[in-house]
Amino acid sequence: MNIQFISMQLFNGLILGSIYVILSLGLTIIFGMLGIINFAHGAFYMFGAFVAYTIVAYLIPNFWVALIVGPIVMALFGAACEAFLLRRLYNLPPLYIMLFTFGLMLVLQDFIRMVFGAAGVPFRTPSSLDGSINLGFMFYPKYRIFLIIITSFCSLGVWLFLSKTKLGAIIRAGTDNSIMVDALGINISRIFTFVFGMGIGLAGLAGVLAAPLQNVSHLMGVDFLVDCFVVVVVGGMGSISGSIVGGLIVGEIIAFGVMVWPPMAQTLIYIFMAAFLLIRPRGLFGREAFHE
Amino acid sequence: MGKTIQFMAVVALIFGLIVSPAFSAETLKIATLTDMSGPYAELAGWGNINAAKMAIEDFGGKVLGMDIEYVYRDHQCKADLANQKAIELYEKEKADVIFDSPNSAAGLAVSNQALLYKKLYFAVTSGTTRYTGDLCNRYTFHWAYNDYVLATAAGIWAADNLGKKWYTITADYAWGHDLLKYFSAALQKRGGTLLGNEMVPLGASDFSPFIIKAMNAKPEVLALLNAGKDTVNSTKQAVEFGVRKTTKIVHALLFPSDIKAAGPEVFADNYVTASWDWKVDQPGSKEFVARWMKKFGSPPNWFNAGNYSCVTQYLLAVKRAGSKDPRAVVKALEGYRFSDFFASPGYVRPEDHKRVGKAYILRAKKPSEIKEPWDYFQIVGVVPAEQAYQDVKEVGCKMGDF
Amino acid sequence: MNKGPWSKQKIILVSAALLLAIIFPLVAPYVALASEILIFALFAMAFDLMLGYAGMLSFGHAAFFGLGAYSAGLILKNVYPSVPLALLAGVIASSLAGFIIGFLSIRRRGIYFTMVTLAFAQMFYFIAFKWTGLTGGDDGLQRVPRPSLGPLDLKSQIVFYYFLLFSVVVCAVILFRVVNSPFGKTLQAQRENRNRAMSIGYNVDKFKLRAFVLSAFFSGLAGGFYALLLNFVPLNSLHWTNSGEVVVMTITGGMGTLFGPALGAVCIILLRDIISNFTESWTFIMGILFMGAVLGFRGGIIGILRSKLGLSI
Repeated sequence: MNIQFISMQLFNGLILGSIYVILSLGLTIIFGMLGIINFAHGAFYMFGAFVAYTIVAYLIPNFWVALIVGPIVMALFGAACEAFLLRRLYNLPPLYIMLFTFGLMLVLQDFIRMVFGAAGVPFRTPSSLDGSINLGFMFYPKYRIFLIIITSFCSLGVWLFLSKTKLGAIIRAGTDNSIMVDALGINISRIFTFVFGMGIGLAGLAGVLAAPLQNVSHLMGVDFLVDCFVVVVVGGMGSISGSIVGGLIVGEIIAFGVMVWPPMAQTLIYIFMAAFLLIRPRGLFGREAFHE
Repeated sequence: MGKTIQFMAVVALIFGLIVSPAFSAETLKIATLTDMSGPYAELAGWGNINAAKMAIEDFGGKVLGMDIEYVYRDHQCKADLANQKAIELYEKEKADVIFDSPNSAAGLAVSNQALLYKKLYFAVTSGTTRYTGDLCNRYTFHWAYNDYVLATAAGIWAADNLGKKWYTITADYAWGHDLLKYFSAALQKRGGTLLGNEMVPLGASDFSPFIIKAMNAKPEVLALLNAGKDTVNSTKQAVEFGVRKTTKIVHALLFPSDIKAAGPEVFADNYVTASWDWKVDQPGSKEFVARWMKKFGSPPNWFNAGNYSCVTQYLLAVKRAGSKDPRAVVKALEGYRFSDFFASPGYVRPEDHKRVGKAYILRAKKPSEIKEPWDYFQIVGVVPAEQAYQDVKEVGCKMGDF
Repeated sequence: MNKGPWSKQKIILVSAALLLAIIFPLVAPYVALASEILIFALFAMAFDLMLGYAGMLSFGHAAFFGLGAYSAGLILKNVYPSVPLALLAGVIASSLAGFIIGFLSIRRRGIYFTMVTLAFAQMFYFIAFKWTGLTGGDDGLQRVPRPSLGPLDLKSQIVFYYFLLFSVVVCAVILFRVVNSPFGKTLQAQRENRNRAMSIGYNVDKFKLRAFVLSAFFSGLAGGFYALLLNFVPLNSLHWTNSGEVVVMTITGGMGTLFGPALGAVCIILLRDIISNFTESWTFIMGILFMGAVLGFRGGIIGILRSKLGLSI
């Protein structure tokens, strides 16, 4: 174990963490604003990767186009799901929405399997990002560096949007007290649709970004989903900074855990999650929850 | 009150409609239990069903004066479902024999049911050596390949031809550990050295730390002892980190569907073992492939071919035995030497019920070398049966009675 | 026509259900499927105790089911081939796990509770996966024998079915009495309004823990039966998606009714078997059905029967 290796690991943890960050940002925004635990989040991530594949393979063979169009398509899809389906469940206990998203997950996954098959589809790194750069102390793949940069911009963007814009202020207010916001005359249901769409758009973005690194198949979101829950619990449900910090922490735990104590690395995550839930359920940055 | 009775009548009617009587005269019933909607659907699924159907058709649809009936079921790559479907096939459908069952856990469960119902099971698409090892039984046969062959054939050939300094990246569970054991043994036989091994949790999405560690040891060959999604992920990332510039990659398992799923440029110039390939030039092979392609449009993979061969040899054994009684058929197969387009030659070992034969070494082609669809592999070597298959004495099978 | 819990209508319906259950092996696609339906009906009823009556969604029940299955299987294989001993081991293991996990998790409510149970279940799954020497790992626990129980030759699928039917009916009666007892009523009271229940003086957490352990007990029993049915224990019985299947059965059947989830198990497993003989897309169909159940007929099948047909079950 030398400095080069450790720093390489640090970076790899950041990569994994970055995907988690974007995925969890979506999950946490949806939870914070709408109180929904979206079991279908991993499935939307997977769907985003397939939308990108469809664009690149059948429409315009350009990764950058897919990177921009993919998340937008997913955001619209998410907004449609909220407007036509989820909205009908708001007057029910949150259990029902959670269960509904579980069913949605099954449907999305099997739909993709029916259309694209079970083996998966090919997705390459864009040629402009092929190869590695010499960072001085190590060689590192260009695409991964790009991933870290994009994720940072994205997180910054989401944070700025929520804290500096008027719409962002409304969303934050709605997270705190949606009834009050409604009473102030703001169309809260449109905000809900927007926020859900945004969360799903982020999931789709994570899917497109991860596609060149992974096997793009209908089940690629299943493992990520549970890990995402871990991130959101550790970071704090509903907290943006929580998602960012939590995502990076979990990414690093996996990266180092797998080096240090391989047999138990996976279990380590769940022990971590259980520990947080039992000792400090609000996570690192969450607000003290009603449920505690 | 009236409504209650109405409701009950409807329920009774619905239940009545579910009744499915199994009408049986003296027929031979062949069943395929395979994965039609899970991860192996493209690999096994309809291909293996079609293979069995074609074998029955080619045989004439009858044997010993009995009509041959055929059924198939989907176990979705779930072991518990496979168990239940095996019970359904043996008990309700009165199947005499089950073929296939991808996924070793599922296959072992079917093998156990075969023992309990005293009927036959031929494992084709799954590779666990336990069928013919600690869990062997008189009613189970293992036809197309097994994990020992995958590791040993590739290990021997690659040590002779690619390099003697190896590093392995292994999926961290029983299957991976077995492969590692076999690979290391093969390597040792040829004077190679294992520089190191990385155990990777199953389903890990990030292989980069392991790849980096492996490359630091500067091996001549990197062996990826994993399958399916892990193979795709690890190879994609190995390419990303420039492994191919200095090192050759050998796979434990690599299927045409993996190559199609990830794209041939990911796997170009990698090596793997196979029992058969559609480009192989042995007697009967090209004709079989031509007929298959005419019927189904794309070439058969070695599981399809294995199923066809297996069903045909079963029917021939029934004929030789003069009866469909499982015990007679088993005796007609034990020690049988034959030659068909798939196994040329083939031999059914009585001690453990393995069909042994030679193993091919395949190289995945570069995209520029691919001249037609599915033309993913080039055959570069052959490993004879005595070297590829494990010695009978080491197998650990205590073949009981019937 | 409603005179107490045992109206004439109810008696007729329950008798009809029993009659159907007795002739079921003759009409079911195959007998082992009928047995599987009974096992999951028991599992769903145990689960409903938590979800429908205590109002707590646990995604960890697969751990109790799986523990029951593995314990029973290991006893049958390695200790002594005795059905009562194996089932006893199964329920002890699952109840113990239920107590420990329950004790730790009960203090959390809502989604936090769900997440903790999920985390614990995943831990059990990975331990079983890695501990190949004990559990068989990915291959599962193979070659579990099904010995006779006294004069009953359980190896016959039909005999095993009737043994299961008897056992499950006994369990159902026990569970029915539990939910209609003062204990059960208190459970439902705290589900409706925790603070009010506490202000009356009930130690709500104690009730929840007892319910959890009871639920784990019967889940483990179902698991033990499952090991006997399959003659093997698949690793997947511990995976959280197994919990998901039970959730689907409970909701589609109608949670909080005990009989509903059992009915849900019947329908889901029958449908799965029939539909997957025609198409590979059963998961898609089940997902749509489930979403429909949540969106549309929230009371599940029982709800439909109650409102559309005026039945009072």
